[in-house]
Amino acid sequence: MKKGLRVVVVIALMVGLAAAACASDAVTIVDSAGRAVVVPQPVERIASAYGIGTYYVYALGAGDRLVAAWYVGVKTFGQAPASLRAMEPRLDELFSVGDPNVEELAARGVDIVLADAAKHAAFAAQMQGIGVPTLLLAPETTQGVVDTTLALGAALGEEAAGRAAQFVSDFWRVFAASEAATRGVPSGERPRVLFVGSSSLQVASGAMYQTQLIEAAGGVSVSEDLVGGWNTVNLEQILVWNPDVVVIAPYGNVTVADLMTSADWQSVRAVQTGRVVRMPRIFAPMDTPLPESLLGVMWLSSVLYPEHETFDVRTEAAAFYGAYYGYALSQAEADSFLIP
Amino acid sequence: MSSPRRRLLWLLYALPVALFLVALLVGRYGGGVGDALRALFSADPNDVLRSLILRVRLPRALAALLVGANLAAAGAVLQGLFRNPLVDARILGVSSGAAFGASLAILLSGSALAVQTGAFVFALLAIAVVLAVGWRLGATPLVLLLVGIAVSALFDALLGLVKYVADPLSKLPAITYWLLGGLGGARWSNLVPLALLSAVGLGFLFLVRWRLNVLTLSDDEATSLGVRVRPLRAAMVVAASILVAASVSQAGMIGWIGLVVPHVARAWVGSDHARLLPASAALGGAVLLVLDTVARTALPSEIPLGILTGLLGVPAFLLLLVGYLRARGATR
Repeated sequence: MKKGLRVVVVIALMVGLAAAACASDAVTIVDSAGRAVVVPQPVERIASAYGIGTYYVYALGAGDRLVAAWYVGVKTFGQAPASLRAMEPRLDELFSVGDPNVEELAARGVDIVLADAAKHAAFAAQMQGIGVPTLLLAPETTQGVVDTTLALGAALGEEAAGRAAQFVSDFWRVFAASEAATRGVPSGERPRVLFVGSSSLQVASGAMYQTQLIEAAGGVSVSEDLVGGWNTVNLEQILVWNPDVVVIAPYGNVTVADLMTSADWQSVRAVQTGRVVRMPRIFAPMDTPLPESLLGVMWLSSVLYPEHETFDVRTEAAAFYGAYYGYALSQAEADSFLIP
Repeated sequence: MSSPRRRLLWLLYALPVALFLVALLVGRYGGGVGDALRALFSADPNDVLRSLILRVRLPRALAALLVGANLAAAGAVLQGLFRNPLVDARILGVSSGAAFGASLAILLSGSALAVQTGAFVFALLAIAVVLAVGWRLGATPLVLLLVGIAVSALFDALLGLVKYVADPLSKLPAITYWLLGGLGGARWSNLVPLALLSAVGLGFLFLVRWRLNVLTLSDDEATSLGVRVRPLRAAMVVAASILVAASVSQAGMIGWIGLVVPHVARAWVGSDHARLLPASAALGGAVLLVLDTVARTALPSEIPLGILTGLLGVPAFLLLLVGYLRARGATR
């Protein structure tokens, strides 16, 4: 191709692109990494390379537009909970693991990509480079959950924006109700909670979302002074903390019976008073910063203050999954929110 | 001339015993040494501190002692066998094999018993491959080292694969933590294999420690002294590997003890293996006891032992190196 001709073609392409961008109104989204991303509308094909972000897409009613998706906590197709398979009949077609591949996603023809701000910066730059708007997401805090919901709502069209606004109002309603119910409880009398992860000696740091959920539910995390991610502690430290309540994450191998019957834990107050619980799980783990964490707060509130009856968690859960995921909770699933 | 040195030798063997007693009295729970002493002699069976000392601190201190002794003794033996001051268990593939075995067990099951077994089995598998391949190629120190490096690399790649497919929420942190090493899991119930294997391995090496001096000569010289070099070398490698495998499966990856402690011991008692081997074991046990006590008491969360041994081991190693180079410069 002659040089002059090439220039003409490039100019024509640029004019064409600009015209296309003007014709269908594009929206500009500021993502968690602070990047302003122009997202041409309408968005019809979504790839979510961020396992947490996928659940926002469903909650915003855009699950049927997914063409590839990663799912937090599900590393193999076989691990997917039955509830998730029931909610997403196309799971085998969408399900992806590992690092996202730029060419593979380009071949699927996507309009937008959701990526993990913690590890996908280079991938996002490559996707942007081939003209696919890519949002880097990192909710991590309750405010982050709200911001992420609103940003995705704006990116995914009018209906999604409406559902995002509804979700945010529900989210703050729950926080406000929980705060109101525990306002009179002095900090010295709030339940002292230990949140353990995939082993009984792995505990949540103060920087983690779990600690925010505990605080939102009116509790105090005994391990709030720890920094970083999951910390491994020893039995002596747990006896020093002597928590009132032990909450077990909804993944990993630890069960309530393990701790209740363990000789090591018999001196821990939570075990002596039988206040050891494991978080329920329907789709994603509720201790991660995604829409279901709203139920995590309500459930924790009923664990910490059973006498307050601030929320009817069973009914709320059924309504939540119906409204946001179009999913009817089974009797057993609804019962999993009850505190034994 | 030997009398001051002999007195120092007693100090060397008294050190781990004294530190062992101190370790029992120190911890995050309770009001300090006085409380711990009172609790230890209290008649109340429901005393929390007493049961902590007997059921948590005691097995853990024992494990620290054994693991430190094993790693240092194995390091001393391997350095002698390979006539190479840079050798430790890492170089024979034992550690990489154990790391892969443990990670695989965490990925597939996660139970403590599975992890311990997985680490042990794959550590021995790694050394079996090294010996099988090395034997065919003549079993000289150089061949064993090269095959060991290759087998290590293979297991490192497999470990990478396990980490890549592990669930980042639950499995990956467990693998990462295990790889950093620690004695938090040491309990009476899982101490038996470590204790038995340590007794067998250390006992065997103690009995043959005189012959190790012969093996540090060239193969021809050793043969001319009537030693059957290849079987003896293989037996010693197996014994050292068992010590390392038992330790790693209990405590995860703990570097530098096997490399640095034998050098310190050599500076203390000289390079006669008859004395170097027990001295290394005593010193290794003492060092790991101190580090493990720091690891479980300094902060609310456990400090991984591998980090502490690295932080202490690297400066110690560099100091030794400086001392060695100076001494060589002085004699030149």
